[in-house]
Amino acid sequence: MPLAAKTYTVADIHAAQELYHANGWTDGLPIVPPTEDAVRACLDWAMTPPDQLLGIETVRAVPITAEKLAINAVMAGCLPMHFPVVLTAVTAMLRPEFLLHGATSSTGGCAVLIVLNGPIRRELGAGGTFNALGNSDRATAVIGRAIRLALINILEVRPGGIDRSTLGHPGKFSYCLAEDEEDTAWNPLHVQRGLPGETSAVTVMAAGAPRQIMNEWTTAPEEILETFAAEMRANMRHYSIWAGNYALIIPRQLREHLQAAGWSKADIAAFIHARARVRRGEWAEVGKRAVVRDQADTEYAALEAPDRLLVVAAGGPAGGFGAVIPPWLGNKSAAVTLPIGACVDCGPPGQ
Amino acid sequence: MVLQVLDPTNETAPPVGQPAPRLASLAGKAVGFISNGKEGTTGFFAHLDRMLREELGVAEVIRRVKSNYSAPANPDIVDELRRWQAVVTGIGD
Repeated sequence: MPLAAKTYTVADIHAAQELYHANGWTDGLPIVPPTEDAVRACLDWAMTPPDQLLGIETVRAVPITAEKLAINAVMAGCLPMHFPVVLTAVTAMLRPEFLLHGATSSTGGCAVLIVLNGPIRRELGAGGTFNALGNSDRATAVIGRAIRLALINILEVRPGGIDRSTLGHPGKFSYCLAEDEEDTAWNPLHVQRGLPGETSAVTVMAAGAPRQIMNEWTTAPEEILETFAAEMRANMRHYSIWAGNYALIIPRQLREHLQAAGWSKADIAAFIHARARVRRGEWAEVGKRAVVRDQADTEYAALEAPDRLLVVAAGGPAGGFGAVIPPWLGNKSAAVTLPIGACVDCGPPGQ
Repeated sequence: MVLQVLDPTNETAPPVGQPAPRLASLAGKAVGFISNGKEGTTGFFAHLDRMLREELGVAEVIRRVKSNYSAPANPDIVDELRRWQAVVTGIGD
């Protein structure tokens, strides 16, 4: 099947860079020129025809096809083996509960957090240890970037265009991490969210920037988790009080204290559900007296239910750190977890 | 080395609706406001309501608020606006 995209002829790789930058087709960084061979290799790896419709962004009635997504994935630096993850992430983002248009156009300036689980992490070399929320490895870097380029180019989510973010955050370049499933006894995130453990999966969440915490002066689970809960309360006071999905990133040092005490992810979520709460009146302490009104004693929970918490084991082995990743806007957008349908062991057909 | 590279954009413009005929005057008309519900809309739409009635002779102003300020208007609001002669919608942060 021929590709549908318009083709441009450029003199060399430098001319290609200028063409893409000049047209507003990049995130400001250099791109890999998307040639037909490279794009077809991605589609073949995912066993997906170019005209496959992944879905339609319903607010602006924009279709997303596999071909256009593959072009953007190549530009981001993806290898063919990365493409099934990108494809699944976009499919998840197109679920109604994700509220794709709102999440990508809002002044709130969130990014799409992507969490990888299951065997595909190891096949891609996706690291969930050192620098897990930064530039940890090639796979997570290019997968996260592919999502941003696809938003920019397919859905026109450009700053000042559809993207109305006041500030945005650095995760809008790439915001992808793998869970460190090898170094924990906890159930992986995708199992917590109802998928079989042997499945590879992608979870997407419309997310603010990570808020790092530190507590290396205790081994008591309640004290460790109180620091996380306090950071969530700070987010509720300083940013948004509304309940939604929160992610906790718990690196190995703190994780081992929790695991040694027999705490599961469900125990953590139950504790956080009980502790991450504020009264509306607390807004008066942080300059927001004007919106307390007559509801000062009304209590707000960060989580509508414990299962709204995404607990992810990730991070380097040393350091009493952790991170709270807040939702874009309460429960307006819900995290979505989908299994990766393509056989990543198989390679392209006929080989 | 000469390269053949592909267009990463959607290439097809999203469908756009046909604009309704412009009104010659707002006098005597029903004008709906669709607010996103944010704090800043309260004062803005109150002022606009007064201007339309007092300065332009609008007969009726109907105010509706979306249930989710980051999503399209609820279907019942969209259905209702067929009965209005003009609509003002906008964001208010």
